[in-house]
Amino acid sequence: MTLAPDAVARPTIPELIDEATVEAIAGEAWVALVGEDEVLVPLPADLPAETLSAWVDVVGPWTGSVVLTTGRQTAADLTRALLGQAAPELLDHEDVADAFGEIANVVGGNVKAALPGPSTLGLPQVGEAPDVRNPADVCRLEVLWRGQPLVVSVQGALPALSTPHPNPPHPNGASL
Amino acid sequence: MRALVIDDSRAMRRIVSAALEGFGYETRQAGHGQEALDVLQEGYVPDLCTIDWNMPVMDGLQFVSAVRANPAWRALTLMMVTSESEQGQIVRALAAGAHEYVIKPFTADALRDKLALLGMLPEEAVL
Repeated sequence: MTLAPDAVARPTIPELIDEATVEAIAGEAWVALVGEDEVLVPLPADLPAETLSAWVDVVGPWTGSVVLTTGRQTAADLTRALLGQAAPELLDHEDVADAFGEIANVVGGNVKAALPGPSTLGLPQVGEAPDVRNPADVCRLEVLWRGQPLVVSVQGALPALSTPHPNPPHPNGASL
Repeated sequence: MRALVIDDSRAMRRIVSAALEGFGYETRQAGHGQEALDVLQEGYVPDLCTIDWNMPVMDGLQFVSAVRANPAWRALTLMMVTSESEQGQIVRALAAGAHEYVIKPFTADALRDKLALLGMLPEEAVL
């Protein structure tokens, strides 16, 4: 049997980055974006039934997605923490998608910088997490924020995703 | 001093604007590069633009190139504020005409330090 050239040449994510690096990147993003006293505690816990995911695609020598998943209420709490005093009294879905997407963008951008390049970064997307295509090509970090579970998954996409268009219309509307 | 904050994320626009206003800037916002160009063409010429890289319609690098192609906007100080942190991307942005590069996530203090390096802190923020 002959493997396709792509399968031979492309490294999987555990060969490129480890959980500790992803944890450091996410932790730094949390302190800067969410608040100085906001820490991520590396403890696994079950996600609630109602979850929301935000992710960015990375296309390059390694191709995949950096996906953040948490409960919908936790995503709303994150939005309030991110916006601070600028948070509206009533958050709508666009507020949450925008803020959660931006956190994924910051974490994803810094994960991309830790990977072999050059790579391109897609625009943030929010919704139901993309499927894991290859369980061997995943770096999964489970943490607690304010006691609530959150998962950061750096997951490969085989076959490769197409290169993101440099200026596509925003997947979640102009407000993201 | 006046700043135009360009980012496709409303949340990030609010965060950057709040930091700049804390330093004494008046701010306006745009959601992508083309919207920012429209603001400039309307006659609003700020002292500083903070520019995200990855945006729909027109990205930050295209915006920097468009500004640098217009002599009327030569005095504008352009600061990339982006999660694009590969060395090659930083070099591309600076070569296109950006003056400074701030990597997300950043703190207000880091932003202040970069502005001080550029001599772009309003007097009240220096005192």
